Order: sequence, then structure tokens, then C-alpha cells
Amino acid sequence: MKTPSNHRSLKLLILAAMALTVSMVLVACGGGSGIDEGASNEDVPTAEGGEASGKVTISNWPLYVDPGKDGSIAEYQEKSGIETKYIEDVNDNNEFFGKVQPLFSQGDAGGRSIIVVTDWMAEKMWNLGYIQKLDHDELTTVFDNLTDDLQSPAFDPEREFSVPWQSGMTGLVVREDLAPDIKSVNDLFDPKYKGKVTMLTELRDTVPLVMAGDGVDPNESTPEDWTAAIDKLQKAVDDGQIRRFTGNDYVQDLAKGTVVGAIGWSGDAVQAQIDNPNINYVQPTQGCSIWSDNMLIPVGAPNTAAAYDFMNFVYEPEVQADITEWVNYVSPVKGVKEILEKRDPAIANNKLIFPTPEFTADCFDQPSIPGDEAQQKEIEQQFQDMLAG
Amino acid sequence: MKAWTWLKDHAVNIIAGLALFYMLAPIAVIAVFSFNDPVGRFNFEWVGFTLDAWKNPFGITELTDALITSIQLAAISSIGSTILGTLIAIALVRYNFFGRRAANFLIVIPLATPEVVIGASLLSMFLVYGAKLGFGTLVIAHIMFSISFVVIVVRSRLIGFDRSLEEAAADLGANAITTFRKITLPLLAPAVGAALMLSFALSIDDFVISNFNSGATVTFPLYIFGANQRGIPVEVNVIATMLFAVTVIAMAAVIIQQRRAEKMAEKRADDAGTTGMSMPI
Amino acid sequence: MTSLRQRLIPYWLLGPGLLWLLFFFVIPMYFMFELSLKTGSLETGYQLTWNWSNYADSISEYSTQFGRAFYYAGAATVFSLLIGYPLAYAIAIKGGRWKNLMLFAVIAPFFTTYLIRTIAWKTILDDSSIVVDALKFLHIVPEDGRVLATSGAVIAGLTYNFLPFMVLPLYASLERLDLRLVEASKDLYANSRATFFKVTLPLTAPGIVAGTLLCFIPAAGDYVNSTFLGGTKQAMIGNVIQSKYLVINDYPVAAALSFTLLVLIMLLLMAYIKFAGTESLMGEEDEVK
Repeated sequence: MKTPSNHRSLKLLILAAMALTVSMVLVACGGGSGIDEGASNEDVPTAEGGEASGKVTISNWPLYVDPGKDGSIAEYQEKSGIETKYIEDVNDNNEFFGKVQPLFSQGDAGGRSIIVVTDWMAEKMWNLGYIQKLDHDELTTVFDNLTDDLQSPAFDPEREFSVPWQSGMTGLVVREDLAPDIKSVNDLFDPKYKGKVTMLTELRDTVPLVMAGDGVDPNESTPEDWTAAIDKLQKAVDDGQIRRFTGNDYVQDLAKGTVVGAIGWSGDAVQAQIDNPNINYVQPTQGCSIWSDNMLIPVGAPNTAAAYDFMNFVYEPEVQADITEWVNYVSPVKGVKEILEKRDPAIANNKLIFPTPEFTADCFDQPSIPGDEAQQKEIEQQFQDMLAG
Repeated sequence: MKAWTWLKDHAVNIIAGLALFYMLAPIAVIAVFSFNDPVGRFNFEWVGFTLDAWKNPFGITELTDALITSIQLAAISSIGSTILGTLIAIALVRYNFFGRRAANFLIVIPLATPEVVIGASLLSMFLVYGAKLGFGTLVIAHIMFSISFVVIVVRSRLIGFDRSLEEAAADLGANAITTFRKITLPLLAPAVGAALMLSFALSIDDFVISNFNSGATVTFPLYIFGANQRGIPVEVNVIATMLFAVTVIAMAAVIIQQRRAEKMAEKRADDAGTTGMSMPI
Repeated sequence: MTSLRQRLIPYWLLGPGLLWLLFFFVIPMYFMFELSLKTGSLETGYQLTWNWSNYADSISEYSTQFGRAFYYAGAATVFSLLIGYPLAYAIAIKGGRWKNLMLFAVIAPFFTTYLIRTIAWKTILDDSSIVVDALKFLHIVPEDGRVLATSGAVIAGLTYNFLPFMVLPLYASLERLDLRLVEASKDLYANSRATFFKVTLPLTAPGIVAGTLLCFIPAAGDYVNSTFLGGTKQAMIGNVIQSKYLVINDYPVAAALSFTLLVLIMLLLMAYIKFAGTESLMGEEDEVK
């Protein structure tokens, strides 16, 4: 039985086992210490521009662009000759942060040239020094076409590092045939709708609206205001007033009529209305909260020239019109309404997609959680514990 | 009275039938809604019949990519775990050695660990090593959680089979490797096939562990999870139904093949004049 | 006297697979344990401070969700056994040429993806669905009641999703059942109920033990069913772990909770195996003689 092949496989196995052990030990020694103390945005680089070519990777939320062979991504690829890898791996701001933080903290973008996150998360990443500055000279199309009301948001007054992808409103989505008198967030706490109300699992969507219902200005709020609003929610949960906290699946409950009023997003309402005209977005009497999801270029991003090029591309009104027509959120680009008036008047005249100033008069920018880091953590914790019943 | 006796005699079958109905009801719902023609983007109210989604099920690039990723992942990890698990099963059944109980224990423990714990602990380790989460970490995780299932499936087959054929082959001068290749492997094939299929299914079905360790890689279940936030496209139902149909066909082929192989093995055994070929209980 | 080489063979066979489990199961467990004793945050990094209070705090704070997880998983296991046993029995004993087909019907749902199946249950159990109407008609659900967003829906979903793990081991042990023993006992007791409880059931005990464990354990850690089918008071410990890891990024407490869950399950498992008086979960008794 002393065949040479037996010997060889034996040796191979030993070698493989040794290699595995050694590599494990090596990584064990090398890893774990790479967290920068006192990270900040003071010395972040400005993303470099230039002639765009090569390959670009974009991380976005699911179903946030017109898909398929005639979709905007395919069109960009064809037009620019840039190989575009478009991945939909942002399901949740926090979850995404948890995924990318170990990389971003090392100055590694994980191969991504552009990521898309909501205002508050953009601010958080910027404060940690994970995001590059933008060179406005490279973004001429973007800044020619960016709508006026998005030019200087509180978290990034000069659009130093962020470019909106889409905006939206968080307000009330109501079955008007079943609950015609829901006009204010406070009406969701009316006992006659017990067990027929849902709210969003996103802390920053739900709590500011509840707060506004109690007459607090969310952008001037204190940590105590947030705690009080969550206490109010907790009580409603204990009373069985709130059926569930949801992602966008509240739309299903509304369509079936098992839920008559919900805190929800404007883009969902547009879609839900097509299915069931009785579902309507109601602007809360206290106003809605307005947010944007923003394109950012992380530190360490490859091919930033192509990232600029892509941003400019989606800010061409013709391209943006395709995206808006499919996505149904609020477009950050001027001139889109005019294009859609010819092509798709129903969308152009929908005030959820092109809100008039009067419609959003009472609305506020989605606030960040006030207070220091410990207080913020505590508020998040309190909210999550409420979700866990 | 007659009806009552009939009911009593067939109670087991009736309950079994209801149970099968219960198992397949959601699949029927999925299949039915793959033919739906929703007006908006939400596919949960029946609107009307259409074949649109079936005509172009791969129209959504991201969905197709996710599906391909999932299939690649399932293929690689099921092959990997089947090889590793089969070797373990052979060692456990065929050899007596120091540390068998410990080895057994190490194999049962992953089965006794909730997915959330497996996913979370792998993530803890990857975080410490600064490993890049992605396809690689998914392969690692999927092979890991499939191994134990493979061992169980292959082992139950190994326990129940006759070693006289192998001994005969050895007596006739075949070396260990030849014996394994010509005798053991063909006899083991159905179990290895079943293990391969089970680990493939576990991999393509997995959401929890993948969700922790996927990085920027999007598998089919992860795509669905994301899409659920904005309305799951009808194409998802089409693809799920297709996956189901493909498995039905593949499984039927396997079953037929298996029957044929068993008949052949019996025949061969008879020709060789071996006795005691009946499957031990 | 066997040579050293021959004695080493089993280790070569085991080596690759067990190393895989060692590196990607045992060692991660160690890291998770270590993480559970750290303090810090994602932004500032974690230091090992032997912070045992992570355990004390998390257990006292989330005892409701632990309790709920074990209650739901236990109920789902009982229902799975009640549904699964007759099913496995029918397949193994009465299946005949339909055996493979029926067995396949049990495994087939795996291929349509966990999440879509669970979401399909939302459609089936919707407040205005036929199923719920029927349940109301039978007064199982009160007239103004609902199924979705209740514990019942979560248990139903868990039962459904983990039923195959119950049926397969039951099937395996029922298939090995020596029908002559059943016949003999029928001759002696002349009562099918007595036969079942005194012969069939004890002989298939290993299958029941394996099935209940394979069903209970994953169900206890699940969070998908309660997310989609539950309401505000149905979150299980899996939901808490998931949100601690992936939403709040509070890794130490998440790790402490995971580890606690694992230990609780291990304790239950040992008690159960002792109680059931069988170590045959892995087929020990049949091996090398």
C-alpha cells in the first residue's frame, strides 16, 4: 500500500492544514486594531475629477431607478462607455452603516464609487470623515439643475459632500373611504381606530411626526421631546392602538382595509393609489417631514471621475424624467415637470411628485436626533425596545 | 356509521393530505400571483391574468444578478459541503478512533445553534479580522452550516449497507482507492445526491446567515428582502415558481435514476453471488 | 496490529471538514464570546473590559422576548409533531409508489425561498381572506378578531416553515419500523390505540427526539416570521439580536444575547435528551460494532 500517490495526498493535507493555521494566526495578529481615534472630516480629500472612463460601482436602495434594458443605468452604460456595476445593497441606513463601517473606517470604500443614504446618515458618515468633498466645477449639470429648495439643507448647507438622488415626504397615508376624518397625526391615536393604525419602523420618520402632533418643532427639539414622543407611542402600543410597525408593507394592509391610517411615504402612496383610489396621501395638519437620499463619494472610492460623470448624467432632465416616472418620489431636478407634462401629465400634475410650495408650507426637514452621542444612543435604544414589545 | 368507519380507517391519509395541502398552499399562492397583472407596483391584490412577467422574467437586471449569485453560491457551497461531509461520514461509520465522540459532538452542535447565532458569530469573527464581506464569506458560511446535514444524510445510508462487496473487491486485489471508486461511491451515490440537493436547497433558501455576512453581495433572498420595501415585482414570483418547477423536474429525474441504479446494484450483487444483499433495517 | 498509517486514515477523512467547522464555527463562537464582554461603540472601537453586566442587563431586560421565543417555538414544535407524525406515517407506511412524490412535496417548499413563502402567508392569513372567514365561522377567531399581527400567526408561520425538519427524521425512523412487531402487537392487544402507544411510538422515539429538536431550535432563534406575521407584541429574541447587531450596531449586547440563547438551548437540549433517554440523535447505536 506504499503507493507514492498516498504519500503525496498525505503531505498535501498536512500542508493545507498548516497553511490554514498559519494564515489564521497571521490575520489574528494583524486585525482588530484599525479603528481611528477621533475621526473627523477636517482633512478629507476632495474627489478628483477628470476624463471619465473605466468602471464604476454604485450602491443604491432596491428598486430606486427605472430597471431593465431601457432603464437609465443601461442607458448610461451605453452612452458613456463606462462599465457600470449597480448594486442594490442599501436596505436600511443603520444596517448599511454596520456593513460598511469596518471598511470605511480604514479608508476603504469597498470598491464603491457612489453610495446613496438618507440625510442624517450622510451627515453621520461625513462627521466621521468617511466621505469626500465634492468639486463643484465637476458637477456643472448637477448644480445647474438642482431645485432651489434643495440647494442648502441644514446638514450640508453648501452641498459640500452630498447630491440628492430623490426626495420624499413622510406623512399620513389614509383609506379615505374608511377613515375620512384622519387629518392630523394625533387622529391616529383616536381610540375609534384602535388596532387599525400602523407606523414606520424608522425612528426618524415616525417620532418627529408624533412630536409635531404635540406642538413641538422637530428641528428645535430636545432629547426630552423625543423621549416623550416615544413614551406616547409606547402607551399606544400597550393599548393595542398601533397594529404594527412596518417597512412599506403598510400599503398591503391599507389596500385590504385592515389598516385605515398609517404613517407612510409619499412615493408609496402614489403607487398604492393606482391600485386603490381610496388610498390617499394626507398632508398632516402639522406638516410633513421632508427628506432626501443623497449620493456620496466615500473616501477611498475608485474612479471618482466616473462618479461625477454619473451624477451629472442623472441630473439631465430627460434622464431624471425617466427615473421620476418610474420611482414616483420627489425629483431634485429642475425641468422634469415640463418634460413629463407632455409625456405623462398624470405624473406631472401629481402634487406628491411635484409638490407645490403651498402643499409643503408646514413641512419640516427630517431632523437629526438631538443631544450628545450617549443621549442619541439612548433614544434609539428606547425606540428599538418599543419595537420589540 | 359506515362513513364513520371509513373516516377512521383513512384518518391518517386524510390528515396527511391536509398536511400536504398546508405545505403547498403558499406555493400555490406564489404561483397564482406570478400571473397577476397589478396596476401599480404592489403585487398582492388579484387584478387580472397576464403572462407578461412569464414572457420576460429576467427583465430586471438586479434580480437576475441576484438569482445568478444565489445559484453560483449554492452550487459551490453544496459541492464543497458534500465533499467535506461525505468524508466525515465515512470516517465516523467505518472507523473506530480516538476522539469519535468529540467529532460527533462538533457535528451536532451547529444543528443545535440558531441561525441568528451562527450568522452573528461569523460576523463577529470577520469584523475582528477585517475580512471583506462578500461572496467569499458567504461561501464559507454556507459550507459551514450545510456540513452537518450532509453528514447525517450520508451516514444514515452508510450505516445501512453491506460491506461484503468491498471486502470481496479487496480480496480480489483492488487497492483502497479502486475499491472506493468502483464499489463504495456507486453505492453511496444516492445518498450523496440527496445530500447535495439538500445542501443546495439550504443554501438557496438561506436568508438569516447571509444577511449578516453578505457585504455588497446580493443573493436572491436578500433581493426579496430589499424589494419588499418598495413592492416585490411579479418577476420574483415567476422566478420562485420556476425554481420550484425546475426542482420538481430534477427531483423526478433523480428518483427515476435512483430506482434504476438500485435495480442495477441488486442485479450486480446477484450476479456476483453475494448473499444478504437485503437492506438491513 | 494495524499500522500507524491505517490508524491515521479516519483523521485524514475527518480533517478538512472538522477544520472547517473549527475555523468557521468554533472560533467565531469564541470571538462572539469575547465580543460579549467588551464595551465601546462602532465608531470608537471595542475594548475587552470583561463587562459581564452585558449579560445581566440583557437577560433581565429581554426576558419577555426570550420567553416568547421559547413559547412560540414550543407551540410550533407541538403543532409540527401533531401534523408531521401522521404525514410521515402516511408517507412511510402507506405511501406505496407515492412515497417519493410525497416526500418531495415536503422538501419542495425549500426551493421557493423562505421569505416569499412567509410573505405568501400574509396573503393567506389576511383579515379579509377565506381562511380567516372560515376561522371566524368556526368561532376559532372572534368575530371582530384578526389572525395577522397576533401570536397565532407567528406560531402558524413557524410551524409551517419548520415542519419539514420535523417530517424528515420522523419519516426516517418510521421507515425503519418493523411492521411485524406492529402486527404481533395487534394480535396481542387487539387495539390499535394500544399498539400505537406501546409499540409504534416507542420504536420511533429517536425520530421524534430528532424532529422536535430540529424544529424547535431554529424556530427559537427565528425573527423572520415575527417580523412579517407578528404585530407590536410578538417580537422574539431573534428580533432583538438582529436589531442590536444590524440596526443599533450594539455588538457586545447582541453577542451576549446570542450567547445566552445558545446556552439556554444547550441546557434544554441536554435536559431533553436525558429525559427522552436516547442518545440516538446522531445514530450512535448503529455504528462500528
